[in-house]
Amino acid sequence: MAPSVLIGAWVAAGLTLFMFSFLYKDNPFFRFGEHLYVGISMGYTIVRIYYDVMVKSLYTPVAQEGKWWFLIAALLGLLILTRFIPKVSWLSRISFAVIVGFGSGVAIPRIISSNILQQVQGTLRPILNAGQSSFGMAQFNALLILIGVITVLIYFFFSIEHKGAIQVAARIGIYFLMINFGAGFGYTVMGRMSLLIGRFDDLILFASRDYGYASLVLLGLIAFGLFLWERRSSALSDPDQDRRAAGSDPHAEG
Amino acid sequence: MTLFLRRTFPLLLTFLFGVAAALQYYIPHPLSEAALTEISVWLRIILGFAMILGIASLCHVHYAKIRTRAAGWGYSLVVYLSMLVTVAVGLWSRGQEEGTGFGWIYTYALLALQGTMFSILGFFVASAAFRAFRARSKEAAVLLVAALIVMFGRVPLGEYLIPAAGPLAGWILNVLNTAARRGILIGISLGGIATSIKIIFGIERSYLGGRD
Amino acid sequence: MRGLAGKLLHLDRRVIFVLIALATLIPLLRPIGLPVRISPEVRQVYDYIESLPAGSVFLLSLDFDPASKPELYPMAVALLNHAFKRDLRVIGMTLLVTGTGMAEKVVSGVASEHGKQQGRDYAFLGYSPGGSNVIIGMGQDLAAAFPTDHYGQRTTDLPVLQGVNSLRQVNYVISLAAGTPGVESWYVYGKEKYGFELGGGVTAVIAPGLYPFLDTGQINGLIGGLRGAAEYETLIGMKGKAVAGMDAQSATHFVIIGLILICNLFYFLTRRTTIRSFGSPQGRPGSPREAGR
Repeated sequence: MAPSVLIGAWVAAGLTLFMFSFLYKDNPFFRFGEHLYVGISMGYTIVRIYYDVMVKSLYTPVAQEGKWWFLIAALLGLLILTRFIPKVSWLSRISFAVIVGFGSGVAIPRIISSNILQQVQGTLRPILNAGQSSFGMAQFNALLILIGVITVLIYFFFSIEHKGAIQVAARIGIYFLMINFGAGFGYTVMGRMSLLIGRFDDLILFASRDYGYASLVLLGLIAFGLFLWERRSSALSDPDQDRRAAGSDPHAEG
Repeated sequence: MTLFLRRTFPLLLTFLFGVAAALQYYIPHPLSEAALTEISVWLRIILGFAMILGIASLCHVHYAKIRTRAAGWGYSLVVYLSMLVTVAVGLWSRGQEEGTGFGWIYTYALLALQGTMFSILGFFVASAAFRAFRARSKEAAVLLVAALIVMFGRVPLGEYLIPAAGPLAGWILNVLNTAARRGILIGISLGGIATSIKIIFGIERSYLGGRD
Repeated sequence: MRGLAGKLLHLDRRVIFVLIALATLIPLLRPIGLPVRISPEVRQVYDYIESLPAGSVFLLSLDFDPASKPELYPMAVALLNHAFKRDLRVIGMTLLVTGTGMAEKVVSGVASEHGKQQGRDYAFLGYSPGGSNVIIGMGQDLAAAFPTDHYGQRTTDLPVLQGVNSLRQVNYVISLAAGTPGVESWYVYGKEKYGFELGGGVTAVIAPGLYPFLDTGQINGLIGGLRGAAEYETLIGMKGKAVAGMDAQSATHFVIIGLILICNLFYFLTRRTTIRSFGSPQGRPGSPREAGR
């Protein structure tokens, strides 16, 4: 096995266990891992922006293909950074106006078409076609979906008072929403457990002989490290316990 | 003049770009399509700079901690050092990851850290479910039953024990869940369109940030 | 009994953590291998790729970062294996900056297993910022959106992209996503105007939100979570990480189901409360906050 892979496995296993140590309690190992993650992801993002945007999308077209007008886009981009200079931070509004204006405009017709018209069409089409065949499961489901969509929309319509028939419809809508939240919770559990399975899979791999039992050795070392940290923390907070015994207010533990 | 540049001009730009972008959808003329293509390329460059904004903000926060020796400033030093090392290695590798030090940092550090950070949630979901997921009302009971059916029916063991559990969970997802989600989707989309119109017409100005 | 129930309701959460850890670890070390039933929405994706003739253009957008790797990476491996087996022209890309390394690794890794050559049989375009804006750009002019691929080669010079001027010439797009930008973005800003067929592979957390699009046919299939990835692996006859993780998935689900049932049992033992409807005495829906009372 290549040395870089072996060292990498030990680093990955160690960092994984650093993060998992949070399950015991917030501790320096976790804090180190957390801040390391922030730093590395910032560094990675900077490198990717440099190569994938600045070099590929700006430098190459301008310097090698003569598309000088991209420099105007670069200028607008630089104006965004004036946000950090209070005296001229208003210049960044020009760039944000372009981004937000274009984004809002481009979204309107597309969202109307995809998320509203086609969703309404998809709800009504099976109902309108239902007369062409006998009433079976498909038609029943289509009717349920129609009832569900209407009652949920009625529930969220707070501009009219929920009483009488509207109240009944809103209550049905709530039950549809509860089923939706329940399904969402079930799937969220599934998703979170899958993430855990993925990490444990890697830890098991790194615990094998090929990787020098990395996970097991590091688990032992980190557990020992946490034990020493816990002892040091309790030793430091012992004077507080003496003062408490003497009757003064205890310090809040961080 | 200054007031025009600081306040009115950006709002005018928002209006022009917003209306143009919305109308472009309905104008299939080659010029209109070419304009859309060009603007999307420009935006890619502008948004690249916008990403730098987020990074610069984080850098500032941690730099302030180091400078003032605030509590935990050592960790901020870790942020800076790791960022600088990653950038240095990345530039040395010319942004390529296959078989390079930059790829090594990504594969063995970033993947492990980010993956584990979010996988911890699995433990907290279980703990939260035990402590808080109670049938305090009829509605909560419905939520609970739906969750249990979906959790039971979407794993092989559940389907092995009760074969009908799988199709039942599928029916809940494809019919009942679809109905509710569609209602929510339509509602959110209508709200989103209303907000976009308010932005274009200058009623909503929070994106400009700060007082003039 | 009520005293015990009360104590157990306030159990140290680290005991639950240990239970979950064991439920995950033991099945991974000692798998059983229960069969995975194939759901219609996953089969639809498989059937569509099966129906594509060799040489069709298949775009796989790996719109996820390392946080979602356990669920979506196995999907990517399975889909790429299927696509390369069918001799499709594969285009890989990502809309998330921290997903670039993973995306490049999976596309080039699976391609090399099938003896496919970069530039000739597949292309990896890499990352571009902007999410929906990138999709629009690709829909208008692929070469303008990605003048070069991830390795610096001009996209107009790549044999695999001959004849592919925009998304209109792409036969099938699948977005593997954990949020936004994701499948919905590819539909709203992509398929809606440029007319390609679209499928989705998503994390379990966002999967329920895409069923309305599946129902209307706006997406022609949906692979949801690790379970979906396991189904796809089963369909292509591959025993990958997703199938291997299914036993652990079953165990953890059953532990949580057990915890929820026990918690409710103890709750009713300690509270002696009957289930009622939340809201005001007049029976109006009331605020969601009242449900917690």
